[in-house]
Amino acid sequence: MFKTALEKPVTEEYPFGDKVVTERFRGKLDIDPLKCTGCSVCEIVCPAEVITMVAVGKKTIGTREVEVKRPSFELYTCISCGQCVDDCKFGALTLTHNFELAVFKKESTTMNKALMNDK
Amino acid sequence: MSESPGQAPRKELGAGLIQYSPESVMPFGPVHPSLKEPEYFKLVLEGEKIVEVIPRIGYVHRGIERAAQERTWIKNVYLFERICGICSFAHSLGYTHAVEGLTGFEVPRRARYIRVIVAELERIHSHLLWLGLVGHWAGFDTLFMWVWKDREKILDLEEAITGNRIHKSYSTIGGVRVDFPDGIADRIRTDLGYIEKRVDYYERLVESEETMSVRTKGVGRITQETARRLCPVGPLLRCTGIARDVRVEDPYAAYDEVPPRVQTSTDGDIASLLRLRLNEVRESCWVVKTALEKLPPGPYKVSVPRAVPQGESTFHVEAPRGELLYYVKSKGGSSPERVKVRASTVANILTATEMLKGYTLADVPIVLTGMDPCFGCMDRVAVLDVDKSKEWSISGEELRDYGIEYYRRGPR
Repeated sequence: MFKTALEKPVTEEYPFGDKVVTERFRGKLDIDPLKCTGCSVCEIVCPAEVITMVAVGKKTIGTREVEVKRPSFELYTCISCGQCVDDCKFGALTLTHNFELAVFKKESTTMNKALMNDK
Repeated sequence: MSESPGQAPRKELGAGLIQYSPESVMPFGPVHPSLKEPEYFKLVLEGEKIVEVIPRIGYVHRGIERAAQERTWIKNVYLFERICGICSFAHSLGYTHAVEGLTGFEVPRRARYIRVIVAELERIHSHLLWLGLVGHWAGFDTLFMWVWKDREKILDLEEAITGNRIHKSYSTIGGVRVDFPDGIADRIRTDLGYIEKRVDYYERLVESEETMSVRTKGVGRITQETARRLCPVGPLLRCTGIARDVRVEDPYAAYDEVPPRVQTSTDGDIASLLRLRLNEVRESCWVVKTALEKLPPGPYKVSVPRAVPQGESTFHVEAPRGELLYYVKSKGGSSPERVKVRASTVANILTATEMLKGYTLADVPIVLTGMDPCFGCMDRVAVLDVDKSKEWSISGEELRDYGIEYYRRGPR
C-alpha cells in the first residue's frame, strides 16, 4: 500500500497534457475528395447509416447522362467502425486520430467536404 | 407456519401459487445503485431474511434481433457487438462463427489464433472488472481502484491490437479485419506478467482481508444439486465444482490447439467465485502467452461473398460470463432471416434468485454482483409479467388437465 502511495497518479492529465492514442485508434472519419469517385459502396456498407449520397451534377458517359454523386457524412452518428475505410477501393476514406468531436452546433458535425470540392 | 407480528402472513392459493402480503414484498430496482443496468427483483422478506425472489426481466429490451433482420450480414457484426459493453468480442465471435458455418469458408489459422488472443484478453479484463465491483460492494473501494488501474493495461493492449478499447470491431466474417500488429508480443508478455503478479497479490488480499472474508465467505451459496437443476453457465456453474467449459468441450477458433485447463472451485459461494475467477485470469494469461508463441504466419482473412447461402447454423462460445449461443437462419439473401441470441445471464438469473434465498437484504448487492449480471445482454426474450401471472400461472398438473380437456373437445 505504501508503494502505491509513492507512485505517481495513473490518471492521465488530459486535457492539460497530451493524450497519446495508439496507432490503430479509430477516430474521426476523413475523406480525400480528389480520390472519391462516388461509387456509393461506403453508403451501402455503413452499419450506422452515416453516409448519404448527394447528387452534385451530371456527366455524360458515351451517350448516356448519369448523375455524379458524392457522400455526405453525419458524423454525430458515426461509430468509427471503419467498415467504409476497409471497403473503399480508391483509398479516399481514412480514420484520423482525432477524438475531440464536441461541437456547439449539431450542423457542424455534418461533413460535406466531398460535395464542395467537386465540380 | 405460525403467524407472528414480525412475520409475513402467507397463504396457499392453490396451483402452487403463494400470495404474500404486500408489506413483506421489497421492490429492488428497476433503477438501483447496485445494479448497473435496470432490472427488477421482487424480494419477499421475512424480517431481514429473503424467502422468495421474483425477477422481472425485459427492461433493456432493445429489439436487436428484429433490427438484425433489416441489416446486411456485415452490418450485423457491429450491431451484435453492441449487445454487451464488456464481452463485445465474444458476441461478434459468436455471430461471425455462426455465419461462417453457413458460408462454409475455412477461416485462416492465423485469424483463429488472433481471435483466441483477443477473446482471452477480453476475459481477463471482464474478470478484473468483476473483481473490482465485488470489492466495491463489499465496502473495499481500495481494491476497486487498484483492480481497475490494472485493467487499464489490458484495455490499452486491446486498443493497440484492435483499435478500440471496448467495441473492438475486430472479428469479421472470414477472419479478422486487421493483421496482428508487429512488435507487440513483448509488450503483451510484460503486461501479462504484471497482471499475474497482481492476481497473486489480490488472491492473498481477498483471503486475508477481513471485510472481504466476512462479506463473501458462505454468502450466496449454491449446492451442486441446485446447479445441476437450474443449469447455470460459466463461472457460476464451475464454482460448484462442475467442470464445464465450451472452450474445452466444443473447441472453436484455435482452442483445440491451445486448450485451457478448466478451473473449478468447490464451495459455491462468492468467496469461491473470487478464487475461481482469479484462477481463470491466470489461465487466460497462459493461453494468451501460448497462443502468442504459436501464432502462425499466413493470411488473416479470407474474402467471403456478401450473400450467405440458405441454411441454419448454431454456434456457442464461452463468453466471460459463460456460454453464449447464436442461432442464425438464412434464406440466401443479403440479410439474415432470423438471429437468436441467448446470453449467459438468461441462464444464470434463476440461479441468482436461488443464491439470494436464505440470506439477508444486505447481501443482495454483493450476490447480484457476484453472479456478474449483464442485463443488457439478457433482455431479448419475451417479457414475463409477474403481476399478471396470477391470472395465467398454472401448475404442471393443471396444464396437463387443461391439455387433456382441450383435446377431448377437439382442436378448434
